[in-house]
Amino acid sequence: MSLGIAGMGWVTPLGSDLSGVWQRLLNGERASVQSISSPLGPAYPVFPVPAERAPAHPRLRRSSAISRFAVVAGLAALEDAKLKLDAETAARTALIFAVSSGGVIYTKRFYHEILESGAQAASPLLFPETVFNAPASHMAAILGITGASYTLVGDGAVGILALKMAEDLMESETLDRCLVVGAEETDWLLCDAYRRWRLVRAAPPIEPFKQPPRGTILSEGAGAVLLNRTGSVQLEKIAAGTNFRKQSEAGDSVEKIFTELCEGEIDLIVASANGTFIDAAERTAVLRSCASAKVYALKGALGESIGASSLWQTICGAQALRTQLVPPDLLLREEKGAHFSTGRRSEDRLRRAVISVCGLNQQVAGLRLVSN
Amino acid sequence: MPEIFPVNQQPNAARVAVVATGIVSPLGFGLDETLVALREGRDCVSPVTRFPVEHCRCKTAGQVSDARLTGAGKPRLRSERLHRVAQMMILALGEALAQAPDFQPELGVVGTTSGGMTFGEEYYRGLKGGETSMRRAASLIANYTPQKPVMDAQEAFGLSAPCQVIANACASGTNAIGHAFDCIRSGRYQRILTGGYDALSEMVFVGFDALQASTPERCRPFDRERTGLVLGEGAAILLLENFDSAQTRGAKIMAEIIGYGVSTDNHHLTQPNPSGSGPRQAMEGALQSARISARKIDYINAHGTATPLNDAAEGKAIAELFDGVAVSSTKGMMGHSLGAAGAIEAVISILALQNQFLPGNINFRGGDAGLDLNIIANRSQPGNLRTVLSNSFGFGGTNASVIIRMIEA
Repeated sequence: MSLGIAGMGWVTPLGSDLSGVWQRLLNGERASVQSISSPLGPAYPVFPVPAERAPAHPRLRRSSAISRFAVVAGLAALEDAKLKLDAETAARTALIFAVSSGGVIYTKRFYHEILESGAQAASPLLFPETVFNAPASHMAAILGITGASYTLVGDGAVGILALKMAEDLMESETLDRCLVVGAEETDWLLCDAYRRWRLVRAAPPIEPFKQPPRGTILSEGAGAVLLNRTGSVQLEKIAAGTNFRKQSEAGDSVEKIFTELCEGEIDLIVASANGTFIDAAERTAVLRSCASAKVYALKGALGESIGASSLWQTICGAQALRTQLVPPDLLLREEKGAHFSTGRRSEDRLRRAVISVCGLNQQVAGLRLVSN
Repeated sequence: MPEIFPVNQQPNAARVAVVATGIVSPLGFGLDETLVALREGRDCVSPVTRFPVEHCRCKTAGQVSDARLTGAGKPRLRSERLHRVAQMMILALGEALAQAPDFQPELGVVGTTSGGMTFGEEYYRGLKGGETSMRRAASLIANYTPQKPVMDAQEAFGLSAPCQVIANACASGTNAIGHAFDCIRSGRYQRILTGGYDALSEMVFVGFDALQASTPERCRPFDRERTGLVLGEGAAILLLENFDSAQTRGAKIMAEIIGYGVSTDNHHLTQPNPSGSGPRQAMEGALQSARISARKIDYINAHGTATPLNDAAEGKAIAELFDGVAVSSTKGMMGHSLGAAGAIEAVISILALQNQFLPGNINFRGGDAGLDLNIIANRSQPGNLRTVLSNSFGFGGTNASVIIRMIEA
């Protein structure tokens, strides 16, 4: 079944306005890095979200940043679709929230209080906000959704898995649309964890596809895609993916996805390359399966936001098809056999784009967009 | 009692068979041990030993024996890096695959709330304690993520289906089974691995204690003097297959899933709407999906956490929808295993259907005044069961119900 994109919204380190952020990407802008200090000593670079405008709602009074990001992006997707949910339309709308680390700030704070002051001091207000589906619950309450609401957890591929789930849910005639939102928030604890995993670097920039990989930089925000059965940009095919056992086997898994998705002519690949081991896996797959396509690596501009990233990539691909423009990868050089994006305007019509996602923790997935 | 009529169902929807199951819980390892414990109405709740609880009100939980988990995962995986919940999943999947050795899932849909959270706790305690060069850090980080246990379990048996890991709080397991059911019913998939898992963790235990949702006393679902839940842990797997496909290849079919309903209650992040509208909508949806009336349900395995608010809302919804149906919560025996609960209770429901008995609702002395429920008090009873409904409700207002039907011999 082919689904259409009815609306999109994002909260990114470059801002939260769909066309505004897109214009900044087209201009070749990259998010500003900030340093967050850790009580352990080292400071970590991250791409934070500038102040976002979350709606005033009782559900958001104590909520974490991730919930606010998700709500802002979700509402923006509905606005982009010129849709205001009422009881009738909300009943025919499903919500899927995709996340990896979740509300890490409150989780860390809650557990820290237990260790510092004992269980008797643990906050009953914080704990509910640490639960993975708290952002989805807040979104459902704000939007008035009373039917299906799912939170999916996973690595960077979780957003694509959520879109696949939406495709499955939309088989039901009881649904007219599905809002898929992916979100993440940053914290020094996450940076420390990914550093110990040897996946983050000490200073910008992120250099996608550069060998040897120097590491990525974490970012935060949310991406939201409202799906229906029409829409000028369609999700033509979603590859729910496969799993790789170890990093050295990631290439085979990515190639399987490309084999599945790269039927016919592909004009653009929005890659998940982020300066880590996944770049080599993607690069090899591009060269073997889709060498004529233009390649754009969004994370060089917005950072690695795990749960939000694959939704950002999907939005980026859809925007490229909508506007027939591709942002430049300023740090990428044309190299033998691969066509990394260096300019804004495509010479040929962009009709099909592949979103490729290789997660950092074994999951691989992708999808193909087509412009009608 | 309102009649429920079929709506919006495709006439040619595929039937969905359960061809194998596996289970690890405080009740035991495997279907046989679980069945014995259920029939006995065994209380498997015990003092918590995994982390300090002296400052908590609640000091008990349903716990899975570590000694019996050791060694799960060999030879494909190094068991020392596996989280204990991954080991539970490996044992549960191993039991299921022993019944269906050729089962190759196209998709995994499983539920959890916190995966390997205790690895995250260990990592943070290490940092806080000044162990800045922890040797185990990378392994702890890679293996604490919630999706990892199901991937480890698949890896242990050479499977690599893509996994949708649902984290809908305490409804996760039932949501996973329900979504897997819908996926096969629609004809889009033939075989799906589904289930749920969760392990006790200090953070979650203290969280429920801080909310005063857990009890310092015994867990007494639906009792008028109930004071809260006790936590549990475990894993359960169900292998679902297109019914015709399973029948054609001569598979042994354990049961059939026939309905799934879901709702979101926006009343409060942690409390159900007292009207019971959320549970009621989920149960009505399951009945509609199954195309049966409420009168066809012979037994309800209730969510029944024993918190005052949950049991009141669920009980009200059951009393309004059903007329004297047998009801029990099995959480008094083994605690509330959160993301695993729905999957464990689905397996319990299948055992009840296969063995024609009603699991007991232990620690029950008398129900709420004005709430007319047919609670299977304290002991299991022989039953004449054909169709069972299993409920799970969670934080965030997630509500899910599945309906399972026995296969006539």
